[in-house]
Amino acid sequence: MKTASTNGDFLRLLQGQGITPLEAPSIQGLPAHNPAGSVHGTTVVAAKFRGGVLNISDRRATANNVILYDEADKVMALDDYTLVSIAGAYASAIEAVRFLKHSFRYYARSQLQELSLEGKLAEVSRVLGQSLAGALQGIGGFIPIISAFDRKAGAGRIFFYDIMGARFETREFGAAGSGSVQIKGALEYVVREKGPFHQMSLKKALKEMFVLLDIAASLDAATGGLAGLLPVAKVVTADGVAQVEEKLLADAYEAALGTRTPPGGA
Amino acid sequence: MAYTAYDWQQTLAEKADYAESRLHHGLPVVALSYPQGLLLLTLRKNQQKIFEVYDRLVLGALGNPSDLEAVRQFAVDFAHAEGYQRSTEDVSIQRVVSFAVSPVFKRAFSDPRRMPIVLKSLFAQLGETPDEDVLFTLNYDGEFDRHSSAACVAGTAEAQRRALEALEEKPPSNQKAALERALYAWTLGRWEPEGESDNGKPVLPTQAQAKEILEEHLKDGFRVEATVLQRGTLRERKFIRLDRDDLSPFLPKAGAA
Repeated sequence: MKTASTNGDFLRLLQGQGITPLEAPSIQGLPAHNPAGSVHGTTVVAAKFRGGVLNISDRRATANNVILYDEADKVMALDDYTLVSIAGAYASAIEAVRFLKHSFRYYARSQLQELSLEGKLAEVSRVLGQSLAGALQGIGGFIPIISAFDRKAGAGRIFFYDIMGARFETREFGAAGSGSVQIKGALEYVVREKGPFHQMSLKKALKEMFVLLDIAASLDAATGGLAGLLPVAKVVTADGVAQVEEKLLADAYEAALGTRTPPGGA
Repeated sequence: MAYTAYDWQQTLAEKADYAESRLHHGLPVVALSYPQGLLLLTLRKNQQKIFEVYDRLVLGALGNPSDLEAVRQFAVDFAHAEGYQRSTEDVSIQRVVSFAVSPVFKRAFSDPRRMPIVLKSLFAQLGETPDEDVLFTLNYDGEFDRHSSAACVAGTAEAQRRALEALEEKPPSNQKAALERALYAWTLGRWEPEGESDNGKPVLPTQAQAKEILEEHLKDGFRVEATVLQRGTLRERKFIRLDRDDLSPFLPKAGAA
């Protein structure tokens, strides 16, 4: 029975079977023309609240000035206690999410212990490193924000990355995508004037996020507004990952945007 | 000296005797579907015997621990590589057992120079409904059987049949009923008949006698190991291990994992 030890390393398992995952779409000879920091048309925000971390994103997928799709989901669960929000090339990001989900589970099932939060974060860095060559040519780069509920510390935590895989932990919020540039100052303003996100109720944090997303959409063409579908909102808490209920979303919409009719008549 | 067909047959018979004798006193593993999930249950001392293989797949076995470890790792590797290359939905227990694991057992068993894999394994796959659950039992020689809703591996074919009959008697309506039935079936798979009734068949232990058998094992330091693949859960991970609190209401004395 061929059971070469992988030590729970999913990348090594695939490579051992001749599978090349996360193949960077780098084209030899093509010069870097759209390097790190390139346009990632979207807005994704992760912010803490009293029970954990809230992730919210607009639903627009764009290619240059073309709106490809207005129902995209950019907040995904990597496991029951980890969420990822993505900005950038959707194809590479989805592939990376698929890889990371398998990687975390493969480790847990083969080693009979959960991969630590630190281990998961390092794996995300490694994945970003794999797509770096393409990202530097302007193909396939993406930026993830990782939100996790740290069960040891009993608290939600947020980490953001640069395109090379460097990781930073943030105290209150993390934001990525073209629209995030427009609202980072506003996020900071909310923390200073209305109090830190981690002390807010989910309802209050949601309301602030709706206002900010509306501002992002009004200043950034690549961020979908709230006129279509309601944004995607997911939380990670001590109970795990969950979708925010429609009712809470509709209430937050009303609290944030007043009498405008909520999308879908909700 | 030439190695004849007779020698080969003789070797296989000896290997089968060897495997049977090693497995004879093994503790059964039972699996049972119910509307909310799929339960696997056994008793053990220290070594775990039931494992998550993939999102909806689980493995339990009796036999040599290092053989089990090798089979487990092999199945986990196969399932994850498949799931990543295609989709999680395409990883099925039928493919894991019949295409990946069973041929390895068969090769080890029929090669005269190799030790057989001393293991009786039970693979299970959670479906949308209990009717869609798929279970496989795999013998040390690579032979496998497909079941639905209930399956068991035990030390002998007779013990296995007894436990399976008990499992299939009445479909459980919830986890509580499934646990009660699985524990009873497990004792039947473990029980060794002493006398026979008038019709030549052994008289099966009653529920009360089954509890005594279970109690004896718990006193001897065995613990119940039970896992569930949860049906219809919103959680990413469907596999859970039942803990002491989940199991203690069903046991004569505390003996949960």
